[in-house]
Amino acid sequence: MRAYLNTIGNPWRVFDELIGEFPYDLLNNAWRARTGQYPHVNVWESEQGLVVEAEAAGVDPDKLDVTVDANVLTIRGEKEQPDGTKNEFQRSFNLPFELERERIKASVKNGLLTVSIPRLATEKRTIAIEKL
Amino acid sequence: MSLIKKTEQNPQKEISRLEVTPVTRVEENKDAFTLTVELPGVSEKDIELTLENRTLSITAENTVQSFEGYTQVLTEIPEVRYRAAFDLPEHVDTAAIKAANKNGLLILTLPKREEVKPHRIAIAAG
Repeated sequence: MRAYLNTIGNPWRVFDELIGEFPYDLLNNAWRARTGQYPHVNVWESEQGLVVEAEAAGVDPDKLDVTVDANVLTIRGEKEQPDGTKNEFQRSFNLPFELERERIKASVKNGLLTVSIPRLATEKRTIAIEKL
Repeated sequence: MSLIKKTEQNPQKEISRLEVTPVTRVEENKDAFTLTVELPGVSEKDIELTLENRTLSITAENTVQSFEGYTQVLTEIPEVRYRAAFDLPEHVDTAAIKAANKNGLLILTLPKREEVKPHRIAIAAG
């Protein structure tokens, strides 16, 4: 009964829900991953920092590029197909913390790129409140 | 000949892994076919290549690393079993198949038999 009443309240609700549930992101990502424009990743987090693992099968390690700008990590690369055409791919992540730039490490093994990003140890500071 | 159903012969191993077909490219030139199979995260020892009745089968399992003290927050690369099979044409020289593994790619070279390669036949002047 409640559902029925709600439908009366907003006759388009059922369509809104259909559209809202449609997995655009999923399909979009799946398509981009299939075409090699969007690498799949696994991400781990801890007190020490973050580890990002990205699929990069068939990518020459020299053509892989990992950059950090402010709090944005970008993985970029170029994949050469057997027929000689080149596909570029790129993916960026907003990092939820300040990072220690000097200690970021990246390695490639069996077509998997692993980037480890240590968290910057920040000191907690208490700010004294002046009584006026 | 065996009348036992195939499924009963090889009871499936743990079904925990998702089975996927790897992204594959097939190319042909006058000497050989080249198959390029993408197997990210698969080490050489986890690739199984078999040839049976001119069917080339590839089975491979990837290794998903886990990091101690870390919690996984995003999983887009699950543990999978890659599976693909190719029916090889008659003119592939199965004894000379070569396989190489590089940057997460399995590259198979399937040479064609000598007699099917194009060659010129000289015409003797009469």
